[in-house]
Amino acid sequence: MDKYPVRVFLKKKGRAVYISHLDLLRAMQRALKRSGLPVWYSEGFNPRIYLNFPLPLSLGTLGEREPMDFYGIEEIPMENFALRLGEVCPEGISIISAGAPVHKNRDIGSAEYRAVFSGNVPEIERAFGEFLASEKIEVKKRSKKKGEITLDIKPHIKIIGTDTGENEFSADFILPAGNELNINAGVFTGAFTEFCKSMGISAEIVCTKRLNIYCQNGEIFT
Amino acid sequence: MGAENAEMKKKIESILLKVNNPSRYIGGELNSVVKDREKVGLRFAFCFPDTYDVGMSHIGMKILYSLKNRRENWWCERVFAPWADFEALMRENDIPLYGLESLDPIRDFNFIGFTVQYELCYTNILNMLELAGIPLMSRDRGEECPIVMAGGPCVCNPEPLADFIDLFALGEGEELNIELLELYENMKKNGGYSKKKFLEQAALIEGIYVPAFYDVSYCEDGTIKEVKPIGKGVPEKVKKRIIEDFDKVYYPETFVVPFSEIVHDRAVVEVLRGCVRGCRFCQAGFIYRPFREKTAETVVSEAKSLCESTGYEVLSLSSLSTSDHSDVEGMLEAAADYTEQRHISLSLPSMRIDRFNDKLMEQLSKVRKSGLTFAPEAGTQRLRDVINKNITEEEILSACETAFKGGYAGVKLYFMIGLPTETDEDILGIVSLASKIADLWYNMNDRPKGQKLSVSVSCATFVPKPFTPFQFEPQISPVEINRRQKLLLDAARGKRYMTVSYHNFRVSVLEAALAKGDRRMGDVIYRAWKKGCKFDGWDECFRFDLWQEAFEEAGLSMDHYARRAMDCGETAPWDHLDYMVSKEFLIREREKAYKGITTKNCREGCSGCGISKGIGRECFG
Repeated sequence: MDKYPVRVFLKKKGRAVYISHLDLLRAMQRALKRSGLPVWYSEGFNPRIYLNFPLPLSLGTLGEREPMDFYGIEEIPMENFALRLGEVCPEGISIISAGAPVHKNRDIGSAEYRAVFSGNVPEIERAFGEFLASEKIEVKKRSKKKGEITLDIKPHIKIIGTDTGENEFSADFILPAGNELNINAGVFTGAFTEFCKSMGISAEIVCTKRLNIYCQNGEIFT
Repeated sequence: MGAENAEMKKKIESILLKVNNPSRYIGGELNSVVKDREKVGLRFAFCFPDTYDVGMSHIGMKILYSLKNRRENWWCERVFAPWADFEALMRENDIPLYGLESLDPIRDFNFIGFTVQYELCYTNILNMLELAGIPLMSRDRGEECPIVMAGGPCVCNPEPLADFIDLFALGEGEELNIELLELYENMKKNGGYSKKKFLEQAALIEGIYVPAFYDVSYCEDGTIKEVKPIGKGVPEKVKKRIIEDFDKVYYPETFVVPFSEIVHDRAVVEVLRGCVRGCRFCQAGFIYRPFREKTAETVVSEAKSLCESTGYEVLSLSSLSTSDHSDVEGMLEAAADYTEQRHISLSLPSMRIDRFNDKLMEQLSKVRKSGLTFAPEAGTQRLRDVINKNITEEEILSACETAFKGGYAGVKLYFMIGLPTETDEDILGIVSLASKIADLWYNMNDRPKGQKLSVSVSCATFVPKPFTPFQFEPQISPVEINRRQKLLLDAARGKRYMTVSYHNFRVSVLEAALAKGDRRMGDVIYRAWKKGCKFDGWDECFRFDLWQEAFEEAGLSMDHYARRAMDCGETAPWDHLDYMVSKEFLIREREKAYKGITTKNCREGCSGCGISKGIGRECFG
């Protein structure tokens, strides 16, 4: 039987938040190996389990629904991939679902995040409003071709909503993701905490979560 | 589950994203053992005085970690030396050194045990004790403090650490650790425990050395006059421990699988212990005697269990000299039967040149081909005979030819500079050996097109080590080491297939002084650490100037330890420890070295090193 594509969605939280993209790749290759699932190995000098993350997640960001692609080589029910892989995942990683990929990697257009800040909540909330009202939100961004560039991210930020708790302020927002323009959540949250600092307000990032990934046409990446 | 210390976790998480490679500071790796702290009676912090990446590669830690955790009532956790960025934040945020499993501060544990693999990690031991919030000196630690112990190869001369460590475990730890912890547990249970009483009882266990129960006096010339037991009933000579039935000894069914990449990121089975060779510079070759091996069956069954529970893609069959296993081909074949179909590659980290052949190479390169490394150690036959390497130039060339014909386009060769009796001819011999290897390649008709030859020469500096025939030898001067390194580099110039790498020679000088140090060295280590020395084995951290100051302030000379020829009749700082290899044998071997006479390997015939007397049986047969 020919190889066929499998896409699983996983959660990355707890202590697993502190593993980098490359480390996650290795951890999941080993998990697949432990699972004994019939998966495809790359050919050549150094055969490895083929594994691809359509949208790598930054170290320190929690993932609620992260896609991971590989190939199956024997016909087994799709849910078995989720079940058997889920059983052998390291602490902090769990498998939500498995299925045939619907969208292509290049369809990815944006991702939704939640960032939680601690400090003086009313002050942070006020600062957040002012931050978004600034004329420009300029950040330094590394680009493979152009080196470091300055980018105004303001037109690219879409705020979904904010919430205030007793000790925490949280914001949900959407940023461009994928091949054309990719803005990490950390770029946005970093710019905001810098802004707070400049106003003499202390705001610590408690956590950053990626909630979902969307296609350019607005569909949920599946 | 979820037994981690929530308050500590919060503090640690607040700094994690500010450091490099944070996953090594938070635990939670696959197969790490988490227990309920309320339900365990004895807590052991297994400390590795180097980074996580180095320590997690260490097989001894894996064995003792799993062994202790098999007891329901004991909880053994891992602790590593934090790198400078994390250490600074720990200090800033009042985070004491903690165990990776529970995140609890280790100052509240019952035991803190260091494994000491390398002399240049001594300052890290002090630094870790201080980070833990524990007094550094054994004499300053009261009943409330954990027992601080140490084991590993370096403790065959534990004297430089004697001030800081309560007790040393000599030799192999599998049985010794259990006996020691059981003693502790029983004394606590029966109400008869005090630190002093425990140490007194522990000192009676074979393999346990309590330095406080021995008094050292010195001669005017700085050498040792006498080491006298002053403890109640303690032995005059402390004997190391040996596992009698190595095939049946406990071996972990699984390893903790780290997230970040570590130095040896693979499944490892220890296939044999000891070495039959007797290379005269090699400490491991003497202190791990006698030679014992596991059957191929045991090796494969342990390998399967490890591979299946970890998901590793590389299996290493490890030992001092794996190709000396009596059934190496059968073992490899059986292992390859399992690994090949699972896309697991096999690695033999220490292969003898004279045991390398087509069949072995084929087994090793079935799944993926990794590099080939051989260790001729010296450039001429004369010097190889002096050090008892027992390999000939023909064997070296034939192994390289086999490798080239098998599709390898490069070899890595290990040598040493500064060996006793070495002359410039021996140094130049390294380059001419490399040239001969290159000739093999260039004269090969069917060599693969488009591939470039690479002969990589790695040169360590000779360091005289305790319990070797060369323990009496002086190290050559730093100026001379430097000159010989230059000589080698100059000779290699223009040979584009050859790369030469070597160590900072100052590191080797300090290593020699610490390796042969006596109790007074504790003061030097303390002063060096106070001045900020740590991670001395890391080039970017090594501060030779501070060490020189420390020696000076302590009134000791580095040369006295590293560069003085010891008289064979002189009392060495480690002479009251019995590693079962007799001093008479070492002296005999040294004399043979100077005459260029080799000694046959143990399998060919017994040379009377003393180990068979120590274990009460012949090593072979």
